[in-house]
Amino acid sequence: MNSTTKDALWYKDAIIYQVHVRTFSDSNGDGIGDFLGLEKKLDYLQELGVNAMWLMPFFPSPLRDDGYDIADYDSVHPSYGTLEDFRKVLDSAHQRGIRVIIEMVLNHTSDQHPWFQEARISQENPRRDWYVWSDADTQFKDTRIIFLDTEKSNWAWDPASKSFYWHRFFSHQPDLNYDNPAVREHMWNVMKFWLEMGVDGFRLDAVPYLIEREGTNCENLPETHAIIKELRRRLDEQFPGRMLLAEANQWPADLRPYFGDSDEFHMAFHFPLMPRMFMGLKLEDRKPITEILQQTPEIPPSCQWSLFLRNHDELTLEMVTDIERDYMYDMYAQDRTMRLNLGIRRRLAPLLNNDRRRIELMNAMLMSLPGTPIIYYGDEIAMGDNISLGDRNGVRTPMQWTGGWNAGFSSAEPEKLYAPLILDPVYGYPAVNVAAQRESEHSLFHWMQRIIAVRKSSAVFGRGSIEFLYPANHRILAYLRRLGNESVLMVNNLSSAAQAVELDLRRYKGNVLIEMFGNNLFPRVGELPYLLTLGPYQSYWFRLRRV
Amino acid sequence: MEDGNFLTDDFLRQLINVGEVDILVGLPTHNNAKTVGSVVHTIRTGILRSFPRERAVIINADGGSRDGTPELITGVSIDDVRRGSGIYALRTLHAISTKYASTPQSEVAMRTILAAAELLRAKACIVMSPESESITPEWVTNLVRPVYSDSFDLVSPTYHRHKFDGLLMTNLLYPMVRALYGVKIREAYMPEFGFSGRLGSQFLGQNRWNDGIGENGTELRLTLAAVTGGFRICQSFLGKKDPVERRAADLVPTLRHSVGVLFSALESDFNAWSTVSGSQEVPAFGTDPELALDPLRVNRKRLRDMFVRGVSELESVFQTILAPSTLGELKRIAGLSEEEFRYPAELWVRTVYEFAAAFQKSVISRDHIIQALAPLFRGRVYTFVVENRNGSANDVANNIESLCLEFERLKPYLLEIWKSKQ
Repeated sequence: MNSTTKDALWYKDAIIYQVHVRTFSDSNGDGIGDFLGLEKKLDYLQELGVNAMWLMPFFPSPLRDDGYDIADYDSVHPSYGTLEDFRKVLDSAHQRGIRVIIEMVLNHTSDQHPWFQEARISQENPRRDWYVWSDADTQFKDTRIIFLDTEKSNWAWDPASKSFYWHRFFSHQPDLNYDNPAVREHMWNVMKFWLEMGVDGFRLDAVPYLIEREGTNCENLPETHAIIKELRRRLDEQFPGRMLLAEANQWPADLRPYFGDSDEFHMAFHFPLMPRMFMGLKLEDRKPITEILQQTPEIPPSCQWSLFLRNHDELTLEMVTDIERDYMYDMYAQDRTMRLNLGIRRRLAPLLNNDRRRIELMNAMLMSLPGTPIIYYGDEIAMGDNISLGDRNGVRTPMQWTGGWNAGFSSAEPEKLYAPLILDPVYGYPAVNVAAQRESEHSLFHWMQRIIAVRKSSAVFGRGSIEFLYPANHRILAYLRRLGNESVLMVNNLSSAAQAVELDLRRYKGNVLIEMFGNNLFPRVGELPYLLTLGPYQSYWFRLRRV
Repeated sequence: MEDGNFLTDDFLRQLINVGEVDILVGLPTHNNAKTVGSVVHTIRTGILRSFPRERAVIINADGGSRDGTPELITGVSIDDVRRGSGIYALRTLHAISTKYASTPQSEVAMRTILAAAELLRAKACIVMSPESESITPEWVTNLVRPVYSDSFDLVSPTYHRHKFDGLLMTNLLYPMVRALYGVKIREAYMPEFGFSGRLGSQFLGQNRWNDGIGENGTELRLTLAAVTGGFRICQSFLGKKDPVERRAADLVPTLRHSVGVLFSALESDFNAWSTVSGSQEVPAFGTDPELALDPLRVNRKRLRDMFVRGVSELESVFQTILAPSTLGELKRIAGLSEEEFRYPAELWVRTVYEFAAAFQKSVISRDHIIQALAPLFRGRVYTFVVENRNGSANDVANNIESLCLEFERLKPYLLEIWKSKQ
């Protein structure tokens, strides 16, 4: 796929599948997923209907943070294969119409990266200024600690060079010094290396933290935005049609600057929305969802929000109030081992008690709210998690392909797998696997296929405007998406009970409603409120049409 | 409203939108614009503070206000349409209103609230007075929590009152309910109270709504229904309650809604109260209410004058209600000078009991019986004020306790005259 000849706004219509090479499929029987295994499974992604995939970090790394501790930016981790293997995945994906977005961790490296090893040798070393050093751990006191459960300070003592180095994440992940022009130049060259290979975009990790300044919280600083603008300028000039996706866990108002005037990121994750979707579902009240979307500022027309239900991290509760966080913990993580940092380390299906109706409803909202949806691998078949595994590893277990040996993930001896398979009676691979769901017409996999197909049938979902209807029944989340002459109506019942709702559709008087999954006609809209009844957790998608 | 349906279609539509709730706050109103705004804001604050996760609704049953009362109530809703309200809440808080009539009838208002509570499957319900200027958010908490968290079915309030406030309660309703039903509920005729959905549903289903008895005073009937139905009852201290200014002419309607309801209930509840002896405390939440003693001007002369005039003018009525000895004694004290005048507890209890028996036998129009009690009550109030004007809180409490014991002691007398043919 040559990005330059395609629609430059392709990311608006994308349905992204998030996958970790290590977790997906093992081709050489060493117990670890690899690129050649992933390549063999691209047909599956095509069958599901996604048209983009986001690969989590696959670079050489000591893997103390699942690859987010990069030790070499210009290669791939030997466990996953070779650069040539990666090129095969890239080409095969493109042949199937699947874009490839890769992870790029700009903010920090592993402490095993040669740059850091050189930097700590002496204070005179040329690499020294590639990181942030201090004789004392008192600078930047207004900066929060992100990994509260493991880190006590953002400074760590380096006994080799007898000084402190700055880290926003784990202490084995020293932050790069973006005040140094050589660092900025080199990191662009890293990105260029992968862009020239053909990747379609980057998910840029931890972007708010690139620059530190005394007297600030060291997040979202103007100097950070200047760096991003420079990256974007170079990207547009040299690689038009490629995309930058920001990982910035911030409030909507603080996120808005990351789009700039269409001159920073193309996309950014909408972090505050996700927990509020879970909250709205549990409260049976649309208020948390509509409120956060009301507070979400307009973004430039070429930009896009990225939406997700779950990902490889904990369900982050940083962007909620204390009362909301307490509620989320009590409702979704009563067992304290499910909590990590300020979040909940669980997959989608267990969070929703494996309730098929709620899983469908959440996915229906994911697919129809304004933004580009991201599906976390395995959630399309309602995979479970293993909270007895440490950190966030419980949501990063091997993909469950079959009910056979090692769930079809690997031919290795089970004890050699990089992580144990899910074995419990509800979510274990004998019960939950791709092969079984392919065989069942009513499986979640097939439902996901259908909803993806419906979403892809109209650009209104990726590019249209949104207007909330606010019916008096607060359990109903209803909104209109519009693009040109096309209008679609979404009605979601957040309640566990059947609901009646009256919608004010007078502006659409004369239109008929066409239910988009079965193409069934519903009565014509008149002057009176349009009455609908919805079953528990039911969703309707209607196309409005004059006939 | 049509075809005998009790709730209007519009109100039903609003209830559908509210859906199932955990907490329901009922607010009966009629032209309360002066006070209701602060009352509903306080209620909302109480809900948000103490029950932020619970599904709650404020339901206004309005008796035809023309001062914008319902709009003031519905305006405190918390939803996602009203932006920038500055209120933080986890979930939607509906505040809905229905006009049940063009004139206020507390029974209809209560029935509306009870019907809504049943339809919404409310677990804990409270009813608040729209005139309670001294209301605090803790009132909501203290009325809801015993029901919601401790499974009580009725929460009767206690207040920090002035010793001369609520004299109908202290001189008649409290001691009589206590003596007859055997439970020490201080505020049986209560402007604010809490109840469980279970009690509300049972009471609603008793189907005594159109029998013409006690068109108001449903609150007292609910209390008595809770007592006779074996429901779990408690008292909860709310705090200081400012007395609502009443005109002298308000006494008769108040007697109708309280004493009239009590006398009426005695008939249907005979099997329940006739076998009770003594009285029991009910569980209490919060501090023990203490009486306030600050100086309060009471027009005693007017009270006594109305008593004397009443005894004189209504003698023929009293002859049909009271025993000759009781009437004779009343006539005797009516002739005493202001300094000597005293309406003793025993005489007062016998008076009340004879009125109750006369009410049961309908010796004359029941409404006339209740009206005839008004001047006598004023005489008793005169005595209470005189006897307690210099008393400490303890003294006053002891005097009230003595009166209660007198009601208990003379209960056999009530049973005797209740059963007599004449």
